[in-house]
Amino acid sequence: MTTAARPSPIAWLIAPAGLLFVLFFVLPFAVMTAMSFYSGNPVTNPNAFLTTRHYERFIFDTAGIFHEALWSTLRIGLITTVVSLLIGYPLAHWMARMQSRLGHALVLMAVIAPMLTGIVVRTFAWMTILQDKGVINTTLIQWGLIEKPLPLMYNEFGTIVALVHIYVPFMVLTLTGVIGRIDERLEQAARSLGAGRLRAFVEVTLPLSLPGILAGSLLVFALSISAYVTPSLMGGTDVLTLPMLIAQQVGTSFNPNFAGALGVILLLVSLAIVVAYNRILARLAGGQGMA
Amino acid sequence: MTSAAIKLDQVTKTFDGRVMAVDAVTLDIAAGEFFSLLGPSGCGKTTSLRMIAGFEHPDSGRVHVGGKDITDLPVHRRDMGMVFQSYALFPHRTVAENVAFGLRMREVPKPEIERRVAAALAQVALTGFETRKPGQLSGGQQQRVALARALVVEPPVLLCDEPLGALDRKLRQQMQFELKELQKRLGVTLVFVTHDQEEALAMSDRIAVMNGGKVEQVGTPTEIYERPRTRFVADFIGEINILDEGGQLRALRPEKIRLVAAEGARLSGTVETSNYLGGSTLLRVQPTTGPSMLVRETHAGARASRAPGDLVGLTWNDSDAVALES
Repeated sequence: MTTAARPSPIAWLIAPAGLLFVLFFVLPFAVMTAMSFYSGNPVTNPNAFLTTRHYERFIFDTAGIFHEALWSTLRIGLITTVVSLLIGYPLAHWMARMQSRLGHALVLMAVIAPMLTGIVVRTFAWMTILQDKGVINTTLIQWGLIEKPLPLMYNEFGTIVALVHIYVPFMVLTLTGVIGRIDERLEQAARSLGAGRLRAFVEVTLPLSLPGILAGSLLVFALSISAYVTPSLMGGTDVLTLPMLIAQQVGTSFNPNFAGALGVILLLVSLAIVVAYNRILARLAGGQGMA
Repeated sequence: MTSAAIKLDQVTKTFDGRVMAVDAVTLDIAAGEFFSLLGPSGCGKTTSLRMIAGFEHPDSGRVHVGGKDITDLPVHRRDMGMVFQSYALFPHRTVAENVAFGLRMREVPKPEIERRVAAALAQVALTGFETRKPGQLSGGQQQRVALARALVVEPPVLLCDEPLGALDRKLRQQMQFELKELQKRLGVTLVFVTHDQEEALAMSDRIAVMNGGKVEQVGTPTEIYERPRTRFVADFIGEINILDEGGQLRALRPEKIRLVAAEGARLSGTVETSNYLGGSTLLRVQPTTGPSMLVRETHAGARASRAPGDLVGLTWNDSDAVALES
């Protein structure tokens, strides 16, 4: 038992990851939380004092924009997640059940390829498609189907379209792994027992893929509520999300303490939603949740 | 329980347009029969079964069950029970829910479902396991749940795809008896796919031996074993000696050969190896000319009398050397 205390040499291999995690997650998060309870920067300003006024400012919301920003952040996140799931699930199911290895590789390439381009580039691509003088509007006007351009961007619709495009691959990759591990013979057994294809899917494959739906949805939700570039570019003046508000507070209002409070609030609210979501799905799956 | 006859009529299936999986197979399976499809992997036995079940559609040829052409009927309307090699139990459902599944799909009223599930579980001696999940059961128990799930809807036909393949030898033997007994009691037509010749011989009323997508021979276990028609069938089932008598091949089972004195025997030679198998001993004898011969010496009580190096004579009845088709 004397050797039990000695860590395996392999354990040292996670040291870089651990260091990275502490340096770029734990530490900034601690600083952000600490800052959110100070009136100013306690390092440069000796008069800074402890306060909860940043949280009060958000809760009482006299400016009338903070609650709306939180709500639109969550709304955009939820809609993006649901749409990504609706688009991603059939694609993932098709990929997971594909017999041909070449076909699988090609579809996988097609799913991953957009991720090779940066988010900014992809968002600009959507702008050239959706704006008033963009591909869709000019085409429709030329065909005489509409007279004025449709409001396709600088609003929530455009934001969600671009976010879905960016985050669907995450959904597909997560789901493909889970669906691929479900034995195809389970569905065949259901069909041999009298269930049609759709019924067999609903009774067997769908409930067994709930862990994948859960993981994929959480991933896409977390990514889209923290998205900054896409809502800023696609949303115009119509959309204000919490990440945009935080950037404003840091960049133009020079109020990092209030920005810190907003960050903590976003984190707490999304954690609460994640826990609730997990509970509900776990109950549906009969205790197969992830947490 | 009702049972139905199955007829495959010139059924052919290719995969990717190239590989001939099943090549013009015609089979007549009687109602209530225990019928095995036996052959090595890739011989087309599983594809044939899947065409009866409806998971594969034949390229040509028809499938009839109970006198009706069901070739174009979808799987869920075929009303057949199926037991898969891996059991394919629903892991997220309890034992009772698994067994109830087929009844639920048929919209049987709830009290009747409960009654029939209880009866089906009693039939496979699993009363008391209703609320367990499949993952909490042993391989043999999972096997019995799969059987109960397939049989509870009282299908006229039960299809089994190597259902005992994953069990250890002792349990497999026990399940062979149970399955056969159950099949006889219910009178269901059972099509059984296996690559295990002992299993096929032990359980079947009739066996179709398949090779390369074709049926080599159909017959009772005794016919298949005692009177193999082709070299493949003779080779595939049990140990065999192939004799070449002027171009005519003959198959001779090792236990049909008697050990006698070397002088005046049909063949004489030296014992090369002697494998003691408990109930019998398998000797490999190298004659002075020709290929070596397998001889099975069965013994009640005492063990084999010959050792490697002994000179022995071999003899057999002409009628036991079965002429093979070329």
